[in-house]
Amino acid sequence: MSLDLGEALQTFFAESRGLLQDMEESLLRLESESDDAESINAVFRAAHTIKGSSGMFGLDAIVAFTHKVENLLDQVRNGAVPLKEGMIGLLLACRDHIERLLDFAAAGEEMDADARTHGEALTAQLSQCLGKSATVPAEAVSPLESAGGRPMAGDTWHISLRFGQDVLKNGMDPLSFLRYLGTLGEICHLATLADALPAAAEMDPECCYLGFELCLKSDVDKARIEAVFEFVRDDCDLHILPPGSKQADYLRLIAALPEDNARLGELLVASGAMTARELEMILTAQESAGASQATQKPLGEILVERQIVQPELVNAALSKQKDARNRQAQEAKFIRVHADKLDHLINLVGELVISGAGVGLQAARNKDATLMESVSGMARLVEDIRDGAMRLRMVEIGETFNRFRRVVRDVSKEIGKDIELVIEGEGTELDKTVVDKIGDPLTHLMRNAMDHGIEPAELRASRGKPVKGTLKLNAYHESGGIVIEVSDDGGGLNRERILAKAREKGLIPDDGGNLSDAEVWKLIFEAGFSTAEQVSNLSGRGVGMDVVRRNIEALRGTVDIESHAGLGSIFRIRLPLTLAIIDGFLMGVGDGHYVVPLDMVQECLELDPARSEQRDYINLRGEVLPLLRVKEHFGLGGRAGRRENVVVVNSAGRKAGLVVDELKGEFQAVIKPLAAMFAKVRGVTGSTILGSGEVALVLEVPALLTEAARKLAA
Amino acid sequence: MAKTILIVDDSASIRQVVGLTLKGAGYDIVDAVDGKDALTKLDGRKINLVISDVNMPNMDGISFVKQMKTMPAYKFTPVIMLTTEGSEAMKRDGQAAGAKAWVVKPFQPAQMLDAVSKLILP
Repeated sequence: MSLDLGEALQTFFAESRGLLQDMEESLLRLESESDDAESINAVFRAAHTIKGSSGMFGLDAIVAFTHKVENLLDQVRNGAVPLKEGMIGLLLACRDHIERLLDFAAAGEEMDADARTHGEALTAQLSQCLGKSATVPAEAVSPLESAGGRPMAGDTWHISLRFGQDVLKNGMDPLSFLRYLGTLGEICHLATLADALPAAAEMDPECCYLGFELCLKSDVDKARIEAVFEFVRDDCDLHILPPGSKQADYLRLIAALPEDNARLGELLVASGAMTARELEMILTAQESAGASQATQKPLGEILVERQIVQPELVNAALSKQKDARNRQAQEAKFIRVHADKLDHLINLVGELVISGAGVGLQAARNKDATLMESVSGMARLVEDIRDGAMRLRMVEIGETFNRFRRVVRDVSKEIGKDIELVIEGEGTELDKTVVDKIGDPLTHLMRNAMDHGIEPAELRASRGKPVKGTLKLNAYHESGGIVIEVSDDGGGLNRERILAKAREKGLIPDDGGNLSDAEVWKLIFEAGFSTAEQVSNLSGRGVGMDVVRRNIEALRGTVDIESHAGLGSIFRIRLPLTLAIIDGFLMGVGDGHYVVPLDMVQECLELDPARSEQRDYINLRGEVLPLLRVKEHFGLGGRAGRRENVVVVNSAGRKAGLVVDELKGEFQAVIKPLAAMFAKVRGVTGSTILGSGEVALVLEVPALLTEAARKLAA
Repeated sequence: MAKTILIVDDSASIRQVVGLTLKGAGYDIVDAVDGKDALTKLDGRKINLVISDVNMPNMDGISFVKQMKTMPAYKFTPVIMLTTEGSEAMKRDGQAAGAKAWVVKPFQPAQMLDAVSKLILP
């Protein structure tokens, strides 16, 4: 069979990985509640489905292995084997092995020797759990014996068929079996026996009363012929005589069949000699004219009757089915869509936003009032489409969080600390791209917290804390962004140790003891910083926290730390909700255009040129507001504006005023990444295209805030 | 007119492969992700054959077949159950519910086509 299974195979891989994820979650749930039947079922179902699907693609290694896992799970599900704690560890290991096998299959490779030995070791452990007696044979055992040899050439099989009365009710059509039989060879003779047919008054049109005697010319073996009637075997009386059977065999057959012996005898004995060949020849000669048409007729009649019955009943059933359909419609439905399609849609919406802005600009230039009105109507719609399209990409962060249950479990076992993971805010939604990229930095922060944050049990006990450490993952929305918190109840960051390390690495001058706590904590994000006294194989591998910070900043996010000695620390990651399109605030500086995310803009003020102290800061209602002159910061020339404006921006609790020439108002910015050559430019994260076709730069507010604070301090 | 087959399985890849195979052989395909979903597909349209998995979330294959057999329009519709080897009990339950035919998982697409063609013709 030549089918293009490529696409289906991709579905299979995606689906299997999803199932493995479910399997892992359920296993971890079982660890705390070992008698949760639904979880056991879910684990079983995952293994079962993976096995079933992989068989279809001929991935035999996966079939063989998952089969063994499924066996054990089946026994656990039936209560035959109790679920012990070690078993969950084993099943998790098996889950990982299946994942590895999938990876091999996805790469189109054979599994390597290492994987093979590992698989064998797991198999051995599985059978140990299972005990020898409980194994289920891996191959389907054919319920039929495959007696009878190959037929002699030219001879025919004789098949006696008596269908049970219920075959039609079971949806089995004798005719399709006969037709199927016809694909195995040539049915050279067929006689229909209507002996069982009752009087018309007593006849139930839904029952089958017919029997068939037929001769099949074919070179298949007996098992193949029996397999044809596999599905009706319980409902049918089947006798198969191989070609060249003896007269005695036919006589036995006659005795075994329900019809009157004389009638059958007539059918068979009339052939004179009892060899199949002569039987066939004579029967064909005798009945060739009428029989074959007569054969079809009663069946045909039954079929017609079925056709008549059904339309009448359909109406009666219809109202009932409508109810069922309405109930179903209220439940949530999901469609699985390829991520590329969504990305394409978002790109198109981005282009639509830009060209919409272009139309708006034209309308404004031409001062065409009606056009401007239609354009603003359209702009509203475009905005809705944009929001709708962005929402399509929003996913809950819960799935990412749940992955860490496994990480926490494994790591805490490995380092010998008892750590519990608490997850909150798993329903918080954010952009799929962000979700995909936040996993690594989060893993690093989690491992770091487990390794360095949470103290060993004895130390915890001596500090009067519960011996079991708690690690918490939390997510919530805050002013147009999302905040993800990783907190632990460990010892907190050690200020002195960080300072000493930073001096040693030359990150701060020797007298830098007057740094604020927040500044000290930030030092751990500097490149090459690692305070761990002993380097474990988890964290502190050299790829330190600076990588975490870089990853987060690449998502236009920030990370800050709150730490209390002896109580623990909180790492707070702030991320924008989306990376693709933002509501921005457009400003003009010199000849250029700049955009800041609108949700970071707090207010706009006019800068009073008469007051000379307004060089580096202003007094904003009794608060010191550091100023950053965008023109100076980027070293821009260009004409000076008639007057200058201050845009007050705010991020992570810090504030500063950006001094710009012109305020141009709200603007939907489709963010395009900057080329690598701009990597060194601080304070810019991306670019966007204005309706006029000009390019505006998107400012990186956190970096500018730091810069403004630094200048003010200096 | 081509015969219509309803495929009920929670595994998208199975639905896809079986669907492809049967479409290639000239059948029309309707699919459903579980028993509950499948019942909504039995909306009066002509279904000539049902292929259903047993172990599915929301509603398993056996409950689904039992319900289907109570619907006059579908009580004669043949059902192929997708069973697992070694689950004779499950097969018996299926047969008691009215699903007389079965294909053992894991199967090759050709095996499915073979089983289908025993029951209906394209």
